[in-house]
Amino acid sequence: MPVGYSIYQDRPSPVHTRLDPRTKLACMVTVFALALAFNHPLVLGALMAAVLVVGIWSQLAIRSFAPFLASAAWFIVLGILIWPFYIQQGATVLHVGGVRFTSSGVLFGLAMGLRVGLMVTAAGVWMMTTSPQKMTLGLMRMGLPYKAGMAMSTAIRFVPLINGERLTIMEAQRARGLDLTRGNPLSRAVRYVAVIGPMLVRALDIAQALAIAMDARAFGVRNARTSIIEIGIGPVDRLVLAGCAVAVAVALALRFLGIGLIARNYL
Amino acid sequence: MSAGDPLIEVEAVSYAYPEAAEPALRDVSLRVMPGEFLALVGQNGAGKTTLAKHFNGLILPARGSVRVAGQDTRAVATRRLAGIVGYCYQNPDHQIFSRTLRREVAFGPTNLGLPADQVARNVEEALRLVGLLEKADDYPFLLGRGERQRLAVASILAMGSRILVVDEPTTGLDLQGVRGIMTLLERWNRELGRTIVVITHDINVVAQYVPRTVVMAEGRVVADGPTRQALTDWAALEMADVKPPQVTRVARRLARYGIPPDVMTVDELAAAIRARLQSVSVSARREEA
Repeated sequence: MPVGYSIYQDRPSPVHTRLDPRTKLACMVTVFALALAFNHPLVLGALMAAVLVVGIWSQLAIRSFAPFLASAAWFIVLGILIWPFYIQQGATVLHVGGVRFTSSGVLFGLAMGLRVGLMVTAAGVWMMTTSPQKMTLGLMRMGLPYKAGMAMSTAIRFVPLINGERLTIMEAQRARGLDLTRGNPLSRAVRYVAVIGPMLVRALDIAQALAIAMDARAFGVRNARTSIIEIGIGPVDRLVLAGCAVAVAVALALRFLGIGLIARNYL
Repeated sequence: MSAGDPLIEVEAVSYAYPEAAEPALRDVSLRVMPGEFLALVGQNGAGKTTLAKHFNGLILPARGSVRVAGQDTRAVATRRLAGIVGYCYQNPDHQIFSRTLRREVAFGPTNLGLPADQVARNVEEALRLVGLLEKADDYPFLLGRGERQRLAVASILAMGSRILVVDEPTTGLDLQGVRGIMTLLERWNRELGRTIVVITHDINVVAQYVPRTVVMAEGRVVADGPTRQALTDWAALEMADVKPPQVTRVARRLARYGIPPDVMTVDELAAAIRARLQSVSVSARREEA
């Protein structure tokens, strides 16, 4: 299957081959719900580990998790730096310039960082295990208008293409003596006009060429259309969907019972 | 750097793009003397553009070294090398962004820090050379493809670089556009003594305009020499999957009838056939006599 320009990795794993894209979407939404239901770093850390295990079981390249884990690390650092200002419960672990850092504040910050990292990683695993074509088809089966689905998959496909154009344009302008590394942020931003201008022109060119090519191939003649890829909810999907429903129900119950939380009054 | 030294000196350069299975360049060595006009030819993926991007430091060699005007490209920033090596991209739309042709052409020399009056002079001269001076205050995006290509060349010419690298200058141009660009490069080389490197698939253009040809295949230089010699190195051309001009292939077939196999243009072939016919008719007359 053509992968095109996306982060999708074509593998023969059960997650790729046995699960319907809607089931995988439901799994991702479930992870989001679980991430919001708990705010204890241990629970969120365990969920993060579970998502990574699913990713590894799906035979995804280990290094492909690096950007998600890096972003998670950033969110964790930000969380640990910001949340102690708001959560003052628990034992004091540090005093900096009159600001008291408490254990709960630090742990909550860690949890919030893990929460965002978990969501980003889960979305990454979903996108790496679901081809853009199947993703779009799944959304269309869920009621997304066909043209919107096409626009969505095209947008996904074009991100790396436009990024490639950006790199080429930057090279072309560097070859004309443009230096994007020196000066203050404002002067650098002004110099970026030399990159953004051609990028906009190229993006419009590409969009126009694509629109003409799609028109020439009768895009939009019918409201509904058939698909070369067939998808369907099978017994495995039903089992997984039931598991998701149970997980969400249990998470909600635990939330009401105050289990898996480090700060009860915070989401 | 003395007068007899090469302007570009590539020594045993190897390079692989990140995550690429195969290296893009393998042990490439090349010398370009001041005032030369050469073409890099080869299939897609042969390494032509990768090699050319080494000339202005857009790519740095993983192994080996590249010296331009005596300077190691590893030690000099691309923005500094831009004053020596002008690199004109294949698609002019990858660089055009200004509101007028004049401002577009002034972008490069201004980046190089040239004084305002010299920038103005360079801009006028470059636009005049490419035949766009009368449109200097027009909006660049309203130009045709051929004119935008010439504008891109002008914007590099105005930088006053000693070396001009032009990537696929004839792509998408009609015959008139091709002639316009190539005549311009030829004049720039002959009249101003600038060194020109053209990356192209258009073998007829190479045969007609470019004196030296470097043939590349799978990241290696497989033939390098005068165009007439390189484009008749049949083994190298086969390795590179490059076909010489049709007229050269016809001449090769006619070699057994006394036609030299290294003709590059239709005019040359016509002259060779004419000369052969004349010599045949002279011998026939002698025999009759």
